[in-house]
Amino acid sequence: MIARLDPRQWPVTLKVPLAVAALMVLVGLALSERVLSRLGETQERQLRALAQTYLDSLSSAVAPAILRDDVWEVYDAIMRAQDLNKNLHPLSAVITDAEGLVIAASDPRRFPVGVRLPSDLAPLGAGRDFSFETGAQFATATHVLSYPGRIVGIIHATFDTSHLALERRDVVLALVATNGMVTLLLAVAGWLLVARMMAPVRTLSRYLGDASEGRATLVPPEAVARNGAEFARLFLAYNALVRSMYEREDLARQLADEHRLGSLGRLTSALAHEINNPLGGLFNALATLKTHGHHAAVRKSSLGLLERGLVGIRDVVRTTLALYRPEQAPRPLAMADFEDLQLLVAPAARRKGVDLRFSGPVDVLLPLPSTPVRQAVLNLLLNAVSAAPPGSEVAVDALLEPTALHVVVSDHGSGLPEPAARLLAVGGETGGLSWGGGLGLWTTRRILDDLGASAEVERPETGGTRIRLLFPLIAPVELAHVA
Amino acid sequence: MGTGSRMDRRAVLAAAASMVGATLVPLFARASAGTIRFGLTPVFLTSDLELLGRLQSYLRRATGFPVELVSRRTYQEITALLVSGQLDAAWICGYPFVAHRDALQLVAVPLWRGQPLYQSCLIVDRDRNARDFQDLKGDIHAFSDPDSNSGFLVTRALLAEHGLKPPSFFARTFFTYGHRNVIRAVASGLARSGSVDGYVLAVMREIEPELTSQVAILRRSEWLGFPPIAAPRHPADPQALAALTEAFSRMNGDEDGRAVLAMLRLDGFVPQETSLFDPIAAKAALVAGAG
Repeated sequence: MIARLDPRQWPVTLKVPLAVAALMVLVGLALSERVLSRLGETQERQLRALAQTYLDSLSSAVAPAILRDDVWEVYDAIMRAQDLNKNLHPLSAVITDAEGLVIAASDPRRFPVGVRLPSDLAPLGAGRDFSFETGAQFATATHVLSYPGRIVGIIHATFDTSHLALERRDVVLALVATNGMVTLLLAVAGWLLVARMMAPVRTLSRYLGDASEGRATLVPPEAVARNGAEFARLFLAYNALVRSMYEREDLARQLADEHRLGSLGRLTSALAHEINNPLGGLFNALATLKTHGHHAAVRKSSLGLLERGLVGIRDVVRTTLALYRPEQAPRPLAMADFEDLQLLVAPAARRKGVDLRFSGPVDVLLPLPSTPVRQAVLNLLLNAVSAAPPGSEVAVDALLEPTALHVVVSDHGSGLPEPAARLLAVGGETGGLSWGGGLGLWTTRRILDDLGASAEVERPETGGTRIRLLFPLIAPVELAHVA
Repeated sequence: MGTGSRMDRRAVLAAAASMVGATLVPLFARASAGTIRFGLTPVFLTSDLELLGRLQSYLRRATGFPVELVSRRTYQEITALLVSGQLDAAWICGYPFVAHRDALQLVAVPLWRGQPLYQSCLIVDRDRNARDFQDLKGDIHAFSDPDSNSGFLVTRALLAEHGLKPPSFFARTFFTYGHRNVIRAVASGLARSGSVDGYVLAVMREIEPELTSQVAILRRSEWLGFPPIAAPRHPADPQALAALTEAFSRMNGDEDGRAVLAMLRLDGFVPQETSLFDPIAAKAALVAGAG
């Protein structure tokens, strides 16, 4: 509520019309003040001119009668002047002598002949001969009848100005009505205009909002065309941004695929190596069997050798098949998967002279998709093996908690470079690409993102790298199962 | 200003005019030979142009002479013209007639309600609580004309009968030079009371009831001779005067004449003896005696 009362929180479509209305009210007030001021001046000027004419004519009519002390003629002249100057709306006229005694008045009952004019009825001070307040109900005028050497009489006249006040009120009403209407019209026009001008911004804001929620879409060409050049450019720029984003995602996907193919190639060569290694032995066993097959002991030993070699080949082939069958329905993670990893990495480790050590829970099926977890760990393991110096140990420790599986891959290599560690731990758009360190970590990060998992990179004082992966379990497992 | 001193001045002026008139008549009394010059005073409603037109038209036809109507603001001006022979006849008030009885002769006297008589009235505001003329002491009082019987002399004589004079009895007086104006002055409050012609007031009650309804009559005088039509005692053209006298006495027999009489609310014009104005002369003498 308070936020709604704060003008800074109001929408532009409201603020602009309100500002327009406020400005118009100000302009209206200023104009009205000028109009009324001019009206007042005009009214006073006209009234003053009319009053002057009236007083002049009355003066010339009464002056001889005053000199003759002819009360009736003075009165008659006043009444004739009242009749003749109806447009001036004379209310009353009192003519006094120099001492203020009434000679005659238009209303003799109120101002009897010979009575002193009350001072409050002669309101004009010395030097002022006309008084008119704008909007007042009456105006007063005083005129001194003087003959050389003496004052023979003073005319005190009042005029009804209620019609002028009424005219002024009409003007005020007209001004209020006109200004109000213009203000309202301009406010509505301002609202419409701003709403129309803001429409592209609202559209863009909606598209940006969708984009922030991962549903970035292109602004349709017709919507772009509807807007002016400025907003059309903005929309086109936005569309270009969305396109480049999609292109980058496509590129990343391609890169991931290519990386998988690359891994596949490496594994294939490893697989071939794994198969090829025992093959020499197996052919030797076959040759021995051909030559010395009649010896039971030799035969038995050779067959055993053949069997073990074939079992090894079978295991390698089966593991590889299991690893690269992602389209299958997710299979729960088992400790056997870690054993498969051991099998897959063993040739590389052997070539490098690195010892592998695995530890973890025994025979527990975890509610985690096995394939991505295995691939993520495999990538880290391969990196660790390649980084580890000969004779050192690469360890994989799995630790089960009720809601998560911790997998720690540690080696004693030279340590994971900082950009690579950041890419793994924090993620990044194309960090892997910019770092130039291969796609393994980038792919792992994507897998972690998919699984909602996190990674921490530690550098123990003993040297090497310790990477801790934390996979949240889809469903909690009972600790009884934890070995 | 004192009304008494004004009266004295007027009396002197009138006398002088009569003397000058007697000697200068042959030189310039007649503006054009054969034209009857008839003077009108505010004894009646001179403002009605239709009335004046009809009167002129009737007199011209009835006398066979061209007729010129002469109006002035005050009685005094008309009286001076008449006495000096610059008018062939004039409708004047009984007071100037008796004042210049030696220089004037009666032509005819109007009949109002069957009598050649009228009254003077003291009028006050309709809502005023006054019962006697004594209640008017201290008033601002409106007179019609200093040469008017009903509009001045009667009230002044009334005061004189009680040993009073206008300047001391009234706070202030002024002349309106017209009976209608006296009614307006009292109705508007400019004057608290006024002296007015009873005949004019009665006619005004018919034609301007909204004005006359604002005043009330406090006192009526006795019946006095109606303002007469008078001519110089020695007319410049006796033939024309005879024709004029005849025209007034036969006014009832003519359509224009009847129309004029109807507008004036008069029954006709009749010859009368000058003794009709003796009561007015007595009042004038009383006032003159009071000083």
